[in-house]
Amino acid sequence: MFDTVLIVALTALSIALLLLFIRVIIGPSTQDRILALDAIGVLLVGFIGILMILQDTSVFSDIVLVLTILGFVGTLSLSKFLERGVVIEHDD
Amino acid sequence: MPFQILINVLLAVLWMFLQNEYTAVNFISGYIIGILILFIIRRFLKFDFYLKRVWAIIKLIYLFIVELIKANIDVVKVVLKPKQDHQPGIVAVRTQLESNFEISILAALITLTPGTISMDFSQDSKTIYVHSIDVPDKEAMIKDIQGSFEKAIMEVTK
Amino acid sequence: MSTMIDVLVAIFVVIGVFFAVVSAIGIVRLKDVYSRAHASGKSATLGVIFIMLAVFIHFLSQGVMNAKILLAILFLFLTAPVASLMITRSAYRNGVKLEKNTVIDDLKEMYETNQNQSK
Repeated sequence: MFDTVLIVALTALSIALLLLFIRVIIGPSTQDRILALDAIGVLLVGFIGILMILQDTSVFSDIVLVLTILGFVGTLSLSKFLERGVVIEHDD
Repeated sequence: MPFQILINVLLAVLWMFLQNEYTAVNFISGYIIGILILFIIRRFLKFDFYLKRVWAIIKLIYLFIVELIKANIDVVKVVLKPKQDHQPGIVAVRTQLESNFEISILAALITLTPGTISMDFSQDSKTIYVHSIDVPDKEAMIKDIQGSFEKAIMEVTK
Repeated sequence: MSTMIDVLVAIFVVIGVFFAVVSAIGIVRLKDVYSRAHASGKSATLGVIFIMLAVFIHFLSQGVMNAKILLAILFLFLTAPVASLMITRSAYRNGVKLEKNTVIDDLKEMYETNQNQSK
């Protein structure tokens, strides 16, 4: 019963990821696409979390951490690049 | 405040030495006893008892979690409404907070609360521009932000 | 006892997945970038936080204190507001249009006065 709930949850998350993918493809502006990619990153963290419960292993916890940080850094650098044309600003 | 925490940690380490067992459980029990001692001698200290500030932080976190859950119910309502007739808008909110740290905390809290995300700062970073998903009443919204979060943050960092 | 914890974990997972799905629907349905940022910044974050709490409780019931999961929750809390602020700001500065029934736009005045001053 418990496993069934988790598998249904995984299916629902997959559908959510597909919906976000639609937004990545059709998004009128580039910022829409970044927003959807950011949300995909966050939802993937949840996906891996449910996999951890399902397979009863805690080895994925490092992946969760790295994915969180990489998603954040990627979003920041992309939006910064779109705003100014550079990622790292030099004050001069 | 850092001085008092230092005293507290020192008392905890002393407690650990007295027990002659260097475990986390002993450290934590020593820390709690240190808090008790500091509480008893609080009249003789020059500064305020630092747990008062910790209590303010706990209150801020509590307020924040309640608002976060309200925010999500709000988003669910807006998203699942069959007809999308909400009226978004960008509102300038002035704040009395001083340091950059406080202002960035306020901006983060605004983002995670009902119907509002912070978008931009003015040049002197005293005005936060807030995008709200539904603005029936501009003044009420500004007053809400200033009344609840600003006060709680000031209590923590005053 | 273990069934109790299983039920609790299942409830947390279901709540989290519900918020995640709602945020995905919101990102598809809402009309402009700024409204979509509401869905992504709040609902997705809270949903994933609920799921990670479920993971934490599950491993705690087996006697494993997994601090990395708590660290991941902390990171999500800290990074979500910053990410949505950066995205909406870059959208506004690049001139992405607001939705047509927007009522107030205070930010426009700020940029106009800045331009007048710099002239």
